[in-house]
Amino acid sequence: MKRLLPAAVVAVAALVAGCDGGSSDSGAPAATDNGPQTGTVTFTGTDNAETYQPVIKAFEAENPGIKVAYTQIPFDQFNATMQQRLSAKDSGIDVYTVDEPRVSQLAAKGFLTDLSDLDDQVKTKFSVAAYKTNHFRDKLWSLPMWNSTQFLFYNKTALAKAKVTPPTADPQQRWTWEQVETAGRKAMQSGGTKYGLFMEQPEAYYQLQPLAESLGGGSGIEGDDALTPAVETDGWKKAMQWYGATFASGLSPRGIGGFQTGPVFANGQVAFFVGGPWDLKIFGSSKIDWGVAPLPYFEGGKPVTPTGSWSLGINPASKQQGMARRFLEFATLDPTGNLATSSTTTIIPANLEAQKQYTPKMDAFSGAKTAGAAAITAYESEHTAVSRPVSVGYIQFEEVMGKAFADIRNGTNPDTRLQEATRQLTDAWRSIK
Amino acid sequence: MKPRLQSLSLSVLGGVVGILFFLPLLWVLTNSLRPGSETFAHLTLSWRTFFELKPTLHNYSALLSSDVGRATLNSILVSAATVVIGLAVCASAAFGLAAFEYRGRGLVFGIVVLSFLVPFDAIAIPLSTMFRDWQLTNTFTGLVLPGIGNGMAIFLLRQFFLGIPAELVEAGRLDGLGWFGVFRWIYLPLSRPALIGAGLMLFLFQWQSYVWPLLIGTDAKHILGPVALSNLQGQNFADYGLVFAGAVVLTVIPLMVIAGFQRYFVQSVASSGLK
Repeated sequence: MKRLLPAAVVAVAALVAGCDGGSSDSGAPAATDNGPQTGTVTFTGTDNAETYQPVIKAFEAENPGIKVAYTQIPFDQFNATMQQRLSAKDSGIDVYTVDEPRVSQLAAKGFLTDLSDLDDQVKTKFSVAAYKTNHFRDKLWSLPMWNSTQFLFYNKTALAKAKVTPPTADPQQRWTWEQVETAGRKAMQSGGTKYGLFMEQPEAYYQLQPLAESLGGGSGIEGDDALTPAVETDGWKKAMQWYGATFASGLSPRGIGGFQTGPVFANGQVAFFVGGPWDLKIFGSSKIDWGVAPLPYFEGGKPVTPTGSWSLGINPASKQQGMARRFLEFATLDPTGNLATSSTTTIIPANLEAQKQYTPKMDAFSGAKTAGAAAITAYESEHTAVSRPVSVGYIQFEEVMGKAFADIRNGTNPDTRLQEATRQLTDAWRSIK
Repeated sequence: MKPRLQSLSLSVLGGVVGILFFLPLLWVLTNSLRPGSETFAHLTLSWRTFFELKPTLHNYSALLSSDVGRATLNSILVSAATVVIGLAVCASAAFGLAAFEYRGRGLVFGIVVLSFLVPFDAIAIPLSTMFRDWQLTNTFTGLVLPGIGNGMAIFLLRQFFLGIPAELVEAGRLDGLGWFGVFRWIYLPLSRPALIGAGLMLFLFQWQSYVWPLLIGTDAKHILGPVALSNLQGQNFADYGLVFAGAVVLTVIPLMVIAGFQRYFVQSVASSGLK
C-alpha cells in the first residue's frame, strides 16, 4: 500500500499540470488571428431553434463552407450560464445574443469583442436609441438584431357586452390608464371577464418602466456614472401605488408569472392585456375577438413606451472571430439577413431597411384584429420609445426592481418597498463604484 | 372505541395529505391532454380543473418534433452509462473498503463519506472549467463522468459488503478464487439489492441533472431531458400543453424504473449497516 502514495502524488501533480496547461491554452488571445475561413460557427441564444433557422439557412447559402450550429439555453438560466461560460473563456461560443441593457456590464467584464470599426455603418442603419444602447465607454460592443414595443390588446367581445366603446388604434386618441381601469371594471361586472387588466410580464422592469416614466418619474437610475438609484421620485411612487392597487382590488390577478399571462387573455378571461409584437401572431389562434391599441399613459402624464430587444455580440475567446463576424454582420447589418431573424417569431427587426419592409406587414398578422399595429409601431418608435437605462449596474438594478415589483404586486406598501429597493441598490452598487 | 377513532382520523389525515401530493401531478397530466391555449381556462378550482372530458394526444405527438424526443433518448443513454460504469467503479471502491484491512482504511472511507456531503452544485462551476480544458464540453463523456464516483453509493455498498461473512470469503480463497473472483462470485451475487439501490441513486442523479449539462454546454446533439423541457418555455411564449406533456414523459420514465425496483431499494437501505 505504501507504493500507492507516490503514485497518488504523481497523479495529482499531473492533474494540476494538466489544468494549468489547459487554461493557459484557452486563455490565449485570438485577436491577431481571425481563425479559419471555413468551418462551423456556434451561435448561442435563448430562443427556440426554429427562430433562427431562416437566418442560418440564408447565411449558409451565401457563405458556402461555413455552417452555423445553434445552441439554446433556457431563458431563466441564460444570463447566469453565459456569465459562467464566458468568464471561463469558453471558446465553444462564437456569437451570442445580448440583452441590450446588459451590454455595459458584459463589455466591462471583457465578454464582448470590440466592434467599433463598424460604428459608421451602425449609425446609419439603426435607430439612434439602438445605436446608443449598444455602446459603452464610446465603443461599439454589439449589433442590434431586434426591436420591440408594447401594445394594449383588448377583448372586443367582452367590451361590447359591457357596452364600452373600445380604444382606437390612433396614437392621438390614446387611452389613459384611468380609462383602462374604469372600462376593465365594467367588463368584469357585465362583460363576462374575470379580470380587467393584465400585463404580460407583471414583474419585469421592461414592462413597468413606462408607468413611472409616464408620470415623469425617470428611469430609476441617475448620476454621471449611472449608479445612483432614483426610484423614490413622485412619479415612481404614484405609478407603483396605482400598480399595487390594481392587484389589491382584483382588477389584475396575482400568482400568475411572466409570460404565463398570454393564455389568460387568449381564453377570454381578461378585458385588457399589455403585450408585445410577438402576441400579434400568438393570439391569432385564440377563439376570442380582439383588437390592438397604443400603450396607455397616465392622465396628466406623457405617453412613454418601452423599446429595445436583443443584440448580437462576439465572444472574445472565440477562435473563429472572422467567421463569427461574418454571421453577425449578416444577421444585423444586411437587411435580408436581419429580416430572416424575424420571420418565425413576430419581432421587429432592428435594421431600419428591414423594418421598413417588415412593419407594414404587421397589420395583417392576424387578419382584421391586428389592423393599425403597423402605424402604432412606427409612431411609438419615433415619438414615445424610451430605452432602458445604460449602466454597468443594470443587472443588479433589474433584479432588485423585479423583486420589488413582485412584493408590490403581492400587497407590500409601495413607498416603503421602493425605499428598501433604494437601500438594496446602494449596497449592491457600492462595490462597482 | 378511542383507538379506532384515532386510527380512523389518522387514515383520513393520511388520505388528505396523499391527495394534496397527488393533485398537482393530476393537474399536470390533465393539462398535457388539453390544447395549450386551454391550460388556464379553468383557473377557478372545480372538477374540470383536474379532469378533461375531451382528452387529446396532440401535445404528445408535437413533442416528437421538438428536441424532447432526442433529449429523452440522450438522458436514457447517459443515465444507463452512468449506472453501468458507476456501479462497477463504486462497487470496486466499496469492496476495497470492506474486504481488505489496511492502515488508513478509515481515513479513505472518511474522505469518501465527506465527498458525498459536499453538494455537487457547489463544485460544478470549478469542475466545469476543468472539463472545458480537457475538451470534454459537448461530449457524452463529459456528461457521464461526474455521475460515476458517487460517495453515497460507495457508502451504501460498503456497509452492505461488511455484512458478508468472512467465512464465505475464506472458503472461496481456499477453493482457489483470486480477489477479483471473490468480488465477482461472492460479493456481487450476494449484494443484488444493494447494487440495485445504488444503481437507482446513480440513475436519479443523472436523470435530474440540470446545472451540469448547462455548464458544459448542450448543443442539439447532446441535449438532455430537463434542459430540453426548460427550452420549451420560449422567451415570449410558452405552450404549456407541450411543457406539461414533456414533464409527464420525463416523470414517467424514472417512475417506471423506481416502481420496478422499489422493493430492492427499501431492502438495501434497510439492511445496510444492520447486518
